[in-house]
Amino acid sequence: MKSKNTWIQKSLLALIALMIAVPALRAEEWVRYQARPGSKIKIEGTSTIHDWAVEGGIISGAMELESNFPLDPAVKAPDSAKLNARVQVSIPVRSLKSGKTLMDDVMRGAMNEEKFKLIQYKLDSISMKPHKAGEALEYEADGVITVSGVSKPNKMSVKIEKISGTSLKVIGETPLKMSDFGIEPPAPSIGLGLIKTSDDVKVTFEWVTAQRK
Amino acid sequence: MMKNEPVSELNRRSFLKGGSISTLMSLIGAVELKPEPAAQGIAGVKIQAGPKVNCAVIGLGTRGREIAQTLSVLPDANVSAVCDPYPSSLRRGAKAAPTAASIKDYKQILADKAIKAVVIATPSHEHRQIVIEALDAGKHVYCEAPLAHTIEDARAIALAARKAHRQVFQAGLQTRSESQRHFLLSFIRAGAIGRPVMVKTQWHKKQSWRFASPNTEREKALNWRLSQETSPGLIGEIGIHQVDATSWYLNSNPVAVTGFGAVNFWNDGRDVPDTVQAVFEYPNNVNLIADCTLANSFDSMMDVLYGTDSAVMIREEKAWMFKEVDAPLLGWEVYAAKQAFYRETGIALVANATKLSAQGTAEKEAPAYTNTTLSTALESFLINSRLTGTAVEDFLTNYGEDEEGLKEYLADMEKNRQPAAGYQEGYEATVSVLKANEAILGKKRIVLDKELYQLG
Repeated sequence: MKSKNTWIQKSLLALIALMIAVPALRAEEWVRYQARPGSKIKIEGTSTIHDWAVEGGIISGAMELESNFPLDPAVKAPDSAKLNARVQVSIPVRSLKSGKTLMDDVMRGAMNEEKFKLIQYKLDSISMKPHKAGEALEYEADGVITVSGVSKPNKMSVKIEKISGTSLKVIGETPLKMSDFGIEPPAPSIGLGLIKTSDDVKVTFEWVTAQRK
Repeated sequence: MMKNEPVSELNRRSFLKGGSISTLMSLIGAVELKPEPAAQGIAGVKIQAGPKVNCAVIGLGTRGREIAQTLSVLPDANVSAVCDPYPSSLRRGAKAAPTAASIKDYKQILADKAIKAVVIATPSHEHRQIVIEALDAGKHVYCEAPLAHTIEDARAIALAARKAHRQVFQAGLQTRSESQRHFLLSFIRAGAIGRPVMVKTQWHKKQSWRFASPNTEREKALNWRLSQETSPGLIGEIGIHQVDATSWYLNSNPVAVTGFGAVNFWNDGRDVPDTVQAVFEYPNNVNLIADCTLANSFDSMMDVLYGTDSAVMIREEKAWMFKEVDAPLLGWEVYAAKQAFYRETGIALVANATKLSAQGTAEKEAPAYTNTTLSTALESFLINSRLTGTAVEDFLTNYGEDEEGLKEYLADMEKNRQPAAGYQEGYEATVSVLKANEAILGKKRIVLDKELYQLG
């Protein structure tokens, strides 16, 4: 009995050790990239009088990539491979500027910034787009964008560039509709008549990240 | 409007558009130049203005009280406190800003973390210590012009402002924020007056510049502008705005200055001239002739830029162009309002322009302390203070301490700022007029080396 008990005890101990060790090992397989200064985001739209744009320089958040995540364009990546990555990003609405105070006030009003201060993005899944060795790496990202408290699924292509040994730049572009997020396109009545803002906007970004030290 | 253009900025294309039907009409008389009006709120949209900026006014003389009054009616300001060590000035300042706390010691204002911005309107020779302490305390600072009564003090202020890159420093050169001036700048830079040949500016008032006081000590303190020891003189206190505007338009600082001045009327013991003239030499043989007097009010204030094709006259927030007969047709002037302007006979036919326009329909009065050059400059200061304050907060919240990254972020934010004079413009203008004052007192010509304008 004694030997059997010892065996059970040993097995339990080994199992517990394994339970502790596996997540620890798994954690080591992920590389965390933290948002760093130098990012750019631009939202462009049209209206009945002129095109408009707002720009920002703050994209906060972090990205965790599994250590085997393909980042070297010289090495051919497996086609359509599902990759493991976690991404969460946020942008303060008030950091987006048009260069015109009044237009910024209109934008914050339309986006109800007082209540919803952040634009957020969370990645659900990411896969490799067909790739040839030596060409830029492109990925298909599925995630959720939250604007003015409304969350909508989003699919976009992104590129990831190495800007140094430990820094990555994520570059992407996606069209959005204001009305999808419950935002009524501003239609100000100024001077000679009504200005109608188009519902469609284009979001482009360059997100700079660096490995956490 | 194109992106990043101030609302009032000239749309050159709209100027250049136009037909030739009224060519002859455009060749006579004055053409009134005015910017497109800024939108005053918008129907049909929800606007979320930024939060009001908690601010304070330090120094409650005539100018300080005017500033307190102006801030009190600006939508972006919450005047938290007014400050002056002298009780009667403080009482009068408190009336100018009824909701503000009355504070005797400026250090109490600087210690108040809730106050984000201060306007310093103390006598010029008292700026240095207060400005530097305010910047050290993390406040956004608006410092009245001139920055100081000595170049050494002005340099110390400008260097402190340069170092405090997390805060706004605005020199009180208010025309730099005025939409009319920006409109004219584009107009002049577009070559509409031809090649600039000379500039004239005048400031004429009949007033003593002396304040009465019940005791000798206070009398001396109040009348700091009448003693050479503390005063930058008329050219420093008043002429600085015109000199700065000329340097801005000509895109250059004066290279030499010659001055004249005397006490011609107010022989009350003062040693600061009540009448001065100065000739500022700019590159390309363009001179600015400036005169200021406290002895005669005729023709009040005026700036005139003379070019090879036309002259532009600026009076307060209005301006007119006078074309030469051989000047090329610009096009836009065909559609502009035109008024004959027989200045030499004292008959003004320009409606709604200045006090010279005795005839014509009276302009609709704006509420007191609004739509002035000062209110525009203070509005710029408040908006820029809020912009910089939130930008610093957003950056630090999201990225943590990273001084170089923050500097780059704030530099990128420049394009969103309202136009305003910074420390460099403030320093250069202060140097120009302090040297002019020196030339006036010595009745001499002083060469102004490039190095003089550099902060190092």
